[in-house]
Amino acid sequence: MKQLCKSLALLIATGAVATPAVAHHSFGGEFDANRPVLLRGKVTRVQWVNPHVWIHIAVTKDDGTTEEWMVEGGSPNTLTRLGLTAESVKVGTELVVDGYQARDPTLLRANGRNITYPDGRQLMLGSSKTNQER
Amino acid sequence: MSSRWTHALAVSGMVLLTGPPVHVDAQGSARQVGAGVPRMPDGHPDLQGTYDLNTLTPVVRPAGMPAVLTPEAAARLEAAVTESLSESEQALDANRSAPPAGGDGSPGAAGNVGGYNTFWLDPARTYMMVNGEIRTSLIVDPPAGRVPPMTAEGAARFAAQRNAASPDQPPVDDPGLGDPDSYNDPEQRPLGERCILGFGSTSGPPALPNYFYNNLHQIVQTPGHILILSEMVHDVRIVRMKAEHLPAHMKFWMGDSVGHWEGDTLVVDTTNFNDKTRFRGSGEGLHVVERFTRVDANNLLYQFTVEDPATWVSSWSGEYVWPRTDDPIYEYACHENNYALEGVLRGARFRESEDAKQ
Repeated sequence: MKQLCKSLALLIATGAVATPAVAHHSFGGEFDANRPVLLRGKVTRVQWVNPHVWIHIAVTKDDGTTEEWMVEGGSPNTLTRLGLTAESVKVGTELVVDGYQARDPTLLRANGRNITYPDGRQLMLGSSKTNQER
Repeated sequence: MSSRWTHALAVSGMVLLTGPPVHVDAQGSARQVGAGVPRMPDGHPDLQGTYDLNTLTPVVRPAGMPAVLTPEAAARLEAAVTESLSESEQALDANRSAPPAGGDGSPGAAGNVGGYNTFWLDPARTYMMVNGEIRTSLIVDPPAGRVPPMTAEGAARFAAQRNAASPDQPPVDDPGLGDPDSYNDPEQRPLGERCILGFGSTSGPPALPNYFYNNLHQIVQTPGHILILSEMVHDVRIVRMKAEHLPAHMKFWMGDSVGHWEGDTLVVDTTNFNDKTRFRGSGEGLHVVERFTRVDANNLLYQFTVEDPATWVSSWSGEYVWPRTDDPIYEYACHENNYALEGVLRGARFRESEDAKQ
């Protein structure tokens, strides 16, 4: 089984990321692996746009001040086909995001490595319309 | 911890591609299409519809894989993919902390920072079956299922395009970054990152799966023109039927496509590429021939041959099936909200200013 999984990962990896010339942009150029973040906050705005959805959250820091962060997701088209919309992520929803901050740290942006509700359920999967059609 | 992406870039519905087998003769033209294929008033097959190009089968055959999988092997792999995807969708620890400093080891586009959740993706469910064979690559020629070697000229041009590090450059201790000199100018960035063409040669030609999402293509057909709309980045290729190529000095991002019918197969010939298309390192001499055959009401066989004598030592060819879908194509407006490109370039400028301080 482990051997199969290795072949599988290789199969997929080869298909998906063959050469830099064909690769999707590297998140590694946008975000800094030396700046991990764990953000807890409430949704203030959802940009349901291509090439990437951006979910804005207000994060309250220990000193009580609030920072507005932008969290980068994927393309909205797949989820739109499943019936989800920007309104599926309601303003005020509390989210937990782990990821890495932008390489320009003056930007309060992070990749949505994992976007979940506080209980750990993943965002779009935990909403009422889930990916049941998969 | 391996990336969720390498586990779960594809999902399987645990069924192989079913439906009538696709029969192809040696020359690549399909036999007479079946009764289920509608025809246009001019008598040619109606190729119209929306198709989802995604598949588990990669373009290039991974090392060590046979050309064809047995149904049992395919089923095992597909089941493993389904399991991986299910794992990747499990709830996470409510009390998790930030990911590791220095990166999480995720390869490729995930950039050592873990990309994003798999729920954003639209992974494929099955391997590609053509002629009753479950294929491990789209490429069928060379028989090894790999792109032929590059010529010396092609390899040098490709390295220069990628700003590949010279041997005397110190190694970069930042695996997600790649070559640090490839962020000096937005025109160095990949076309998908710039919202010029979709990544992964999704519009083509040749049109290939990108293995992520938005692999939908729509064909609209008139007697004089055939249009191929690709969801990313809302590109439309217009094939001029029974026409001559435009003069050689006219060069286009997706080339100039002219088409004609050979029996029930649409043959599209594309030349006049510019030097920016760079399909896997190609130059202006890129020449692509595509063959579209609607083999039944729900499947279109897509075959392609790629050549560029200045880039590869020989031509190469591939094939796969485009299944019809009832899903709609949505607009993929890309440029105005392309914060990602901004972030990439700002990150490079920040790095420069930090380096300058030292």
